[in-house]
Amino acid sequence: MKKLYSNKLVILSLVLPGLLLFVFAILAPICLSVYYGFTDYSGMGSYSVTGFENYRELMHDTAFWTSLRNSLFLAIGFICIQHPLAIVVAAVLDKLGGRGENFFRCVYFIPNVISVAVIAYLWKFIYNPDFGLLNNIIKAFGGKGDVNWFSTDTAIWAVLIVLIWHGFGWGMLIYYTGIKNIDQVLYEAAAIDGADQKTTFFRITLPLMKPVIQVNVTMAVISALKQMETVYLLTNGGPGNSTQFAANYLYQQAFKAFRYGYGNAIGVVFIVICLAATVILNKVFEDRDERKVRRLSGRREEKAA
Amino acid sequence: MKMAGQRSKKITKFLLWAILIFVAVIQIFPLIWLLDFSLANSTEMFTSGLLVIPEKIQWGNYVKAFVDGHFLLYLKNSVLINGLAVLLVILVSIMAAFACRRMRWKLSMFVKTLLLMGMMIPIHATLLPNYKIYNMLGLTDTIWALLIPYVAFSLPQGLFLMTSFMESVPVELEEAAVMDGCGIYRIIFQIIMPMLKSSIATVAIMTFLNNWNEFIMASTYLSSPKWKTLPFSVLEFTGQYSSNYAVQFAVMALTAAPAVIVYVILNKHITKGVAMGAVKG
Repeated sequence: MKKLYSNKLVILSLVLPGLLLFVFAILAPICLSVYYGFTDYSGMGSYSVTGFENYRELMHDTAFWTSLRNSLFLAIGFICIQHPLAIVVAAVLDKLGGRGENFFRCVYFIPNVISVAVIAYLWKFIYNPDFGLLNNIIKAFGGKGDVNWFSTDTAIWAVLIVLIWHGFGWGMLIYYTGIKNIDQVLYEAAAIDGADQKTTFFRITLPLMKPVIQVNVTMAVISALKQMETVYLLTNGGPGNSTQFAANYLYQQAFKAFRYGYGNAIGVVFIVICLAATVILNKVFEDRDERKVRRLSGRREEKAA
Repeated sequence: MKMAGQRSKKITKFLLWAILIFVAVIQIFPLIWLLDFSLANSTEMFTSGLLVIPEKIQWGNYVKAFVDGHFLLYLKNSVLINGLAVLLVILVSIMAAFACRRMRWKLSMFVKTLLLMGMMIPIHATLLPNYKIYNMLGLTDTIWALLIPYVAFSLPQGLFLMTSFMESVPVELEEAAVMDGCGIYRIIFQIIMPMLKSSIATVAIMTFLNNWNEFIMASTYLSSPKWKTLPFSVLEFTGQYSSNYAVQFAVMALTAAPAVIVYVILNKHITKGVAMGAVKG
């Protein structure tokens, strides 16, 4: 058994496809990006190595900083608007029971299976100032309904709304699963103790959902950082750079502004930021849990002593 | 006392339904609006009402969308590419998961971490260098330009899920198989794989959802219609029929339809798969 399970050749044959894919599709491109990030390559013709020139420029590039700020805005929007809504709706749905429960769960998830291409164009029409659904709704309630949703100040909100709408079902489903995994006995005990719905939600549901919330918050921040497709089709970063995002910006720089080298430099910084964000978020959540465990076990030891 | 309790229960029930229906309307009404306008005439759209009742239902919009949107070709490409990607992800991730989880070698943890790292790398940062690489190797405009990145970027998640599911498979089973003289490959494909059926379904669903709607890689690496996928029906149409809004609505409804129909039919399995995958991930 042992010999069979440590046969180097077999092991190699099993991991080689995965490793090759990783090297070819992820590692090699990153290395190439690092290289081109040090050049002034336009995408065609000759180029020269310029060292850290691109990175120096990037530090003073307001569009890039705007795109990071927009990611932060989205992340906060997800965490403060989308997720509380998703948790509450999941808790409400959990109470419903029966066929209705499955029906609503199914309905909420439908936007998620529709292509971003369709979603982005559909919302472009919904925001349309002439016959858009949103302005028509305002008119139906007696307003003027001539809002330009894609103005410099409101465009980022317009993007946020689309993303919240599109991703709502996903978040809801995960919270819903989390709630379903909570032991029913706890609720019964709470009911016997005379706790009302609100107390039960804040004292039992929310605390027990903490691990799920942590996973979801991490995902929200990462997806806010990685946002591209929706913005690319909806506003393409405009007006100006008011809805710019890092991924969209590097794409524009490389393929529209013909600054392939600069685009790659943005890509490198972008990867570093994504890695850092993931590591930091995991550390923050892990540490807090571990510290708590340590504190609790410490207390127990004190007691034992 | 008892009656009051019943009444408040009824009110709660009513409130629950009201909230859920309100959210459902928000989530679904834009899609109903889309369907409604896709059957209207372009000039009818400039109403101030929320929906229009088309004077004559314009099925012609859908005919135009179907033909000029290359619907069948793109649908076939999407199904083929995504199907292959799912198969490859499952195969490669099971093999790697078994090697890293079950077999004994020094670098197993390192290789697993390395492969999982892919989860943190943003796809978009690889668009520029991959374009260059595929160009150099003559892979642009071939099926490989989509298949390779689709599999590579879904692999970390697949591997992660497979390794965590594999822990639930009892080792004793394998030991018995080894006694009977089974090789490693037979153990993986004839003993482990059938036991991981629901996990395989989860990985398949997650991979499919990830890649089915992908278009930014496709639009970067492809130029001819030969391998273009379903989202291109929509992307190409806005230029072609820029003023005929109703036809644009029709093409959007048409390209969204396959995924929505499949979802509604398989919704129990899909929600279960997503819940399993997302909670573990």
